Amino acid sequence: MMRYVMTLLAALMLWTHPAAAQNGPLRLELTEGVIEPLPFAVPEFVSDDSAGAELGRRIAEVVAADLTGTGLFREIPQDAFISRVTSFSSPVQFADWKAINAQALVTGAVTMDSSGKLVVRFRLYDVFAGQELGDGLQLVGTQDGWRRIAHKVADQVYSRITGEAPYFDSRVVFVSESGPKDQRAKRLAIMDYDGANVSYLTGSSSIVLAPRFSPNGDRILYTSYESGFPRIYVMDVGSAQRRALEQQEGSMSFAPRFAPDGRTVVYSMTRGGNTDLYSMDINSGAGTRLTTAPSIETAPSFSPDGSRIVFESDRSGNQQLYVMPAGGGEAQRISFGQGRYGTPVWSPRGDLIAFTKQSKGRFHIGVMRVDGSEERLLTASFLEEGPTWSPNGRVIMFTRETQGVQGSASLYSVDITGRNLREVPTGTGASDPSWSPLQD
Amino acid sequence: MNTGQIISGAGHLALIGWALFGGAFQSEPLPFQVTEVTAISAEEFAALSNAPNNPEAVANVDTPEPPAEGEGVPEVSATEDVTPDTSQPEASETPPADSVPEPQEPPAPLPEAEVSDAPPVLTPPQEDVTALVPEISPRPQPRPAPRVAPEPVAPPEPDVEIDEVEQQETTPDAEAAETVEEDTRETAREEATTEIVTEAEENDLASAAPTRSPRPRTRPEAPAPTPAAEAAEDAREPSEPETDENAVNNALAEALGQGQPATGGTDQGAPSGPPMTAGEKDALRVAVQNCWNVGSLSSEALRTTVVVGVTMSEDSRPVVSSIEMLSASGGSGSAAKQAFEAARRAIIRCGSNGFNLPKEKYDHWRDIEMTFNPERMRIK
Repeated sequence: MMRYVMTLLAALMLWTHPAAAQNGPLRLELTEGVIEPLPFAVPEFVSDDSAGAELGRRIAEVVAADLTGTGLFREIPQDAFISRVTSFSSPVQFADWKAINAQALVTGAVTMDSSGKLVVRFRLYDVFAGQELGDGLQLVGTQDGWRRIAHKVADQVYSRITGEAPYFDSRVVFVSESGPKDQRAKRLAIMDYDGANVSYLTGSSSIVLAPRFSPNGDRILYTSYESGFPRIYVMDVGSAQRRALEQQEGSMSFAPRFAPDGRTVVYSMTRGGNTDLYSMDINSGAGTRLTTAPSIETAPSFSPDGSRIVFESDRSGNQQLYVMPAGGGEAQRISFGQGRYGTPVWSPRGDLIAFTKQSKGRFHIGVMRVDGSEERLLTASFLEEGPTWSPNGRVIMFTRETQGVQGSASLYSVDITGRNLREVPTGTGASDPSWSPLQD
Repeated sequence: MNTGQIISGAGHLALIGWALFGGAFQSEPLPFQVTEVTAISAEEFAALSNAPNNPEAVANVDTPEPPAEGEGVPEVSATEDVTPDTSQPEASETPPADSVPEPQEPPAPLPEAEVSDAPPVLTPPQEDVTALVPEISPRPQPRPAPRVAPEPVAPPEPDVEIDEVEQQETTPDAEAAETVEEDTRETAREEATTEIVTEAEENDLASAAPTRSPRPRTRPEAPAPTPAAEAAEDAREPSEPETDENAVNNALAEALGQGQPATGGTDQGAPSGPPMTAGEKDALRVAVQNCWNVGSLSSEALRTTVVVGVTMSEDSRPVVSSIEMLSASGGSGSAAKQAFEAARRAIIRCGSNGFNLPKEKYDHWRDIEMTFNPERMRIK
């Protein structure tokens, strides 16, 4: 009893003597931050000559546009600048940048070397910490390739601040569409990820569908109706040379996609009224049947490690998503929500699967874990489909088509959080995008 | 002292005693009944009495007066109860005041009150139905906004511009007309919401169906006993139980902060001055949180918790060079670096003008350890 009384007394003394209880630092736990674009400043890259100054201005614009386009950054307009950067090597007046709340600052310089090459140097600063984020970097390229250099600068800035892998220096192949809906001309086109530098890879004499980049971005698979029936072609991006893949008599092949090794192609083939999945060695033409169900199996996509394939099938009565081993075998259904699921694409990170969902008269682009959990719909509209992942697995690009006779298709991108939905400028109508890996 | 005085004294004492203890000054109110009474004018009363469809007036008037007037009363009552009512006030035409003093009339509203008391007895079953309403009502959805913050900022006025710094609108001052000031346009912080609203959720009114399924949680594994811990257990087992004296001494020593060194702190001595209140700590936490922007962090960095140490100067500003990452958990080294940089920016940005901290308690907030745990921000 005495012990309890004394313990109680001691506890009372402890309670009445809080100074003794708080030895050491004050400890706080923060769990609620804010999510808002990080303000940054990119002054025009300095140069000694007028041609370089013009390039420096345009490079700064592209860098700012890349960062702003992510939705994670907000550019502070140059009109608000207090400090002017006149020399790449001069010390940064952090107080001036703090005053306009620029949390990151990118400075750069543009010069031409003796061989006429474009040399771009840049530095990234954490303004409030008053120090450089990473080391300065120098990039060399052709003058025509100034946009790629700008994208690479933006990639570095993006990665150093966010910790994510970059994706600005990448390209997108898509189907360019023109003309009215009932006489629409379609041809393959390729562009920078931001819609710049569009060029066409095929003519518009025949319908083309579903272009897909190879893992290293040097080739493109696509389906063409050139022969009157759907057939798979492979094109070299550099030379635009193409050839048809092996195809059995009386069959139709479509929905091709490269395996991560770049040598194997998985695709759908319809024979005798049944559509199944097949794989083929792209050089030898040797094929393997992967599914044998009487239902329709299509839209296959490899996991990044090449061990599994996700695809869509109506074997359960309506269109759902399934995962099976890359060599075929028992498939496991992963989608169980209301509506129909299709066009699954495995994320380059391997953790998510993007898909198209049709439910209650609307189409959605969504993501789910590879086991089907944590389904999250990112968009909603009259018609949208065909998601493709950015090289870092952070952004999804897809096709959205508007309603009506005058309706047209265009490309949109959205962050995997569902934020930052925006249209990708392509000039003409566009559908069926496929994002390339990061360029070398 | 004569007998009269004694009797008088005793009588007074008895009276005072009765007044004090007999309940004469008890403050408890006696039970009484309250009846609501409405004062009306004579004209209003006449109007009420003349109303043809007042059932109360019919009941009262029927019995007493009309038989006294004689003649064809039975015939009138045979037709209908209502008609006699209207005729009766007219019969006593002389002064309407005669009918007013009748004491029976004012209580007439009471039966009405009794009638109105009945309905509440019948209603309770409907309450069950209303209790179900919240379950099917649409969940309120926040408006989409580029900024996600725990406390939504009220939408600014339409003419307010978005700017980095909040400024009050200046108005022309007639008295200070000579001193020309530049007009400052009113600005406000950007509108924020509490969570990310995707396009799919934006137009999805009252959709009670879940659009995502929870990820199955992994069962937590029991921590494997480390050899050191096992050794410590073994070492503890043979020791004898504490005696009462030892326990008391230990408790007192702990209470007085003796015996064991402070863990994790750099200052071994007890801080002077009154301790920080919970409100003061919360204010500091909220101040830093307002600048803790996790929007540009990678998904891996959003899974990383970092503990950051900072030393404060006496003007309640953080000493920038003292900010350091003490520990990190949940992510790779690069993710921890990104998370730490975001935390450092938060401390520096919001502390650049000094935090609102009580100067007399400087010893308590000179050294601060902040744990930045973005777990709850991942789901927004």
